[in-house]
Amino acid sequence: MFEKEFQHIQKLAKKYDIQYYDVYLSKSKAFSVKIFRQDIDSFNYSDSTGLGIRVILDDITGYSYTEKLDRESLESALRNARENAKSVDFKEKIVLDNYPAIDENLDIYNKDLSGIPVEDKIKKAKELEKIALDYDKRIVNVPHALISDNESFFKIANSSGLNKEYSTNACYGLSFCLAKEGEETKSGYFEAQSRDFNDIKPQNISNEAAQRALDLLGAREIKSDNYPILFNNEMSATLLSTFWRIFSAKTVQEGQSLLKGQLGKNIAHSIVNIIDDALLNNGYNTRPFDDEGYPSRKTELIADGLLQSFLHNTITALKDGTVSTGNASRSYKSTINISPSNLYIKPGLSSKNDLYSKFPKCLEIVQLSGMHSGCNTISGDFSMGAQGFYCENGKRKYPIHNFTVSGNFLQLMKQVVGIADDLKFKLSAIGAPSILVEDLSISG
Amino acid sequence: MIKKSIIERILQKALSNGADFSELFFEDSVSSSIQLLDSNIVESISGNDYGAGIRVFYGHKAIYAFTNDVSEKGLLTAAEAVSKAEIGNKSLEAVDLTEKLYDSPHKVLIPFDSVHHQDKIAFIHSIDTASRNFSAYISQVSINYMEKIQKVMIANNEGLLAKDQRTYARIFVSSIASKDNQMQTGGEGPGALMGYEFFNSLDPEELGRTTAERAVKMLLADYAPSGKFPIIIGNAFGGVIFHEACGHSLETTSVAKGASVFSDKLEKQIANSCVTAIDDGTIPNKWGSSTIDDEGSLTKRTVLIDKGVLKSFMIDKLGGLKIGMPSTGSGRRQSYKFAPTSRMRNTFINTGTDSINDMISSVDFGLYAKKMGGGSVQPGTGDFNFAVGEGYLIEKGKVTKPVRGATLIGNGRDILKKISMISDDLELAEGMCGSQSGIIPTCVGQPTIKVDEIVVGGRKEK
Repeated sequence: MFEKEFQHIQKLAKKYDIQYYDVYLSKSKAFSVKIFRQDIDSFNYSDSTGLGIRVILDDITGYSYTEKLDRESLESALRNARENAKSVDFKEKIVLDNYPAIDENLDIYNKDLSGIPVEDKIKKAKELEKIALDYDKRIVNVPHALISDNESFFKIANSSGLNKEYSTNACYGLSFCLAKEGEETKSGYFEAQSRDFNDIKPQNISNEAAQRALDLLGAREIKSDNYPILFNNEMSATLLSTFWRIFSAKTVQEGQSLLKGQLGKNIAHSIVNIIDDALLNNGYNTRPFDDEGYPSRKTELIADGLLQSFLHNTITALKDGTVSTGNASRSYKSTINISPSNLYIKPGLSSKNDLYSKFPKCLEIVQLSGMHSGCNTISGDFSMGAQGFYCENGKRKYPIHNFTVSGNFLQLMKQVVGIADDLKFKLSAIGAPSILVEDLSISG
Repeated sequence: MIKKSIIERILQKALSNGADFSELFFEDSVSSSIQLLDSNIVESISGNDYGAGIRVFYGHKAIYAFTNDVSEKGLLTAAEAVSKAEIGNKSLEAVDLTEKLYDSPHKVLIPFDSVHHQDKIAFIHSIDTASRNFSAYISQVSINYMEKIQKVMIANNEGLLAKDQRTYARIFVSSIASKDNQMQTGGEGPGALMGYEFFNSLDPEELGRTTAERAVKMLLADYAPSGKFPIIIGNAFGGVIFHEACGHSLETTSVAKGASVFSDKLEKQIANSCVTAIDDGTIPNKWGSSTIDDEGSLTKRTVLIDKGVLKSFMIDKLGGLKIGMPSTGSGRRQSYKFAPTSRMRNTFINTGTDSINDMISSVDFGLYAKKMGGGSVQPGTGDFNFAVGEGYLIEKGKVTKPVRGATLIGNGRDILKKISMISDDLELAEGMCGSQSGIIPTCVGQPTIKVDEIVVGGRKEK
């Protein structure tokens, strides 16, 4: 696909004597249906394509993009990228190469998924809502019962002869419900993603979402103090999603990461291992190459508590005298940056139940709010609204709400005293097992 | 843009399976951004967003599709896709469009392309210099300059054909102060629905200095106490409390589903009687204003709460159908890639009569949150959470020392009743608000207010 457009840009680059450039195109088709009171609440369908151009003149980069792919628009995009490069005064060495392909054969596109009839998706979304409402009479509302699927195509070419493409697809189901008892309202949420439509099971998703909302009813307040904290797998992943940027070599080189100068040092408890793996079997972000066309690989960021590597693209790698970890990311609209692929905290051997019993009492956190406001990704400080359970003698005793949990992400990683075996990935492709932290400040 | 006769055919095609309503939204936006870091211009990017969205209603169901293939064939394909989502029973009527012309109150004096690129870059550099000159603690300054011209055209089967051109200017400055292993950030992000004259109206020295000053002050501050106590929230961006805690719950998106705590509270007392709150899309050249909304309705000034009594929601077309009320011109979307929904514009608590001094002296122990950070709310429950960007301790009726790292948490419904004093220093502040229909420019605002009790999450015991 789009070979014609890419060839045209190649021709134009010759005409304008542009020596170093790359072209990134993404095309995505998406569908989603939301049900409310057994009727279609929203139904979206999209098919969109965009093309980004990066021009490098004497180590200076200029970018432009266009969603119009006619010849005239491609020409003005190329010219704009060159003009933008002229206004930048920051030089950085960029090498464009024809990177090799990976050996693995990744299973990231399921042909069958694109053939699922719309009626089947609508039916499944309706089941999501109905099952949640039928679960318990205290489930009064299901604001989100959603089924969606998407398909993406990526193509990258550069002036060194690289020309690669791949397609990936996935489908997704979500149930978010409200449980009410008296004046108290609590929410519960569960989602599932897969490349197989049959894996999206409304029964599992909605029962779990409903039970989670119900479990939080009857919540009490809690006295401000320091407690051992058990973050369930999803909330551990939420923490990692909030703070992953400290592992980005770009953030480090810009002086905005606490991990600057920490390579090889002990930054977490020795039971903590953090891995980024773009080749992960069945991972949401599994792919053959990154957004520079660099081949995918697995990278240990933290091994036994020691900081082993940052996430690199070829630009940051060149600066640090190392090689890319295949974590270049961009959209056709954005400049080159760094993102994790499938990033996760390695699961431990204990069950989550073992973690409850490690201390005579602890707080389990199952919902966090205010990630973008209460967290300072530069300092690592966080203070987030939370809901969860007061646990005693190895068991949940009662739900708790209206409190904040605060601390510092780096200090937290040193205070991890238990890691469960229940690794779970969020849609962001960031995953974690439940983790037990020795001591955090709670205010209620 | 697109010929009227073609639009009529597309709208008709979208209705062909018996839909009640069809709409075409077409967008052609040109934007450009420049980023400074390490005192260098490190990024310059420009682009063209171009595409169309087609929406139909079957009763209260909205079906949406978008594409960048805006040829007649591409649009007819999208129109057919939405028409096939349901079967309706409305008989097909001819679509006859009449273009509505509006006189925009949001004038642009200096077009972006009339200003030399080097002048824009010099302006950005002068902010960086001012910040770094303020203190040796400043270790990094990040500046994002943005200009955008969004041209939209909206047509629907009711005969509406309307166009709008929105010119946006914004600069975001973030100064980082560091010492030992600690870092703190001070940010400002002024913006307007204006041309380059907006950047001319800003004082780059002051922008650099105030962001640096806040970062340094917070760097040297002690951690905030935690617990439940009275809090005084500063004006302008302090309005994020109302935006997050109440504003989102007054959008029909949550009201129509009964998912909002305010769904059944119209004409009821939901706030202390000192509270009047307004959402105004008509303020000339304000960041959250526009002549028409993204459904082609003229924007309005909507009184949401009058002396504590809930008067109106923020209503888009579909939300209006669902709750049986007319649109307030609140249908907004980030781009053609989003179906519109009810959104805030410039939302603020109106001016009061109390003095800030009286507020402070009424507090024995509490927090003065002079500058708020961002926040979020869960519309189903009204629970909110937001950060304090610049905070001070109040002890025995006096502001004593700066404190950092405080978070305010609570519930929208509760907090409205706990606002007990409102001062007369109303100001608005620009932000970007993310919700169902994407990320859009909005203003928050308020005078300085006193909230009798709120949970503060800090790092220290009181």
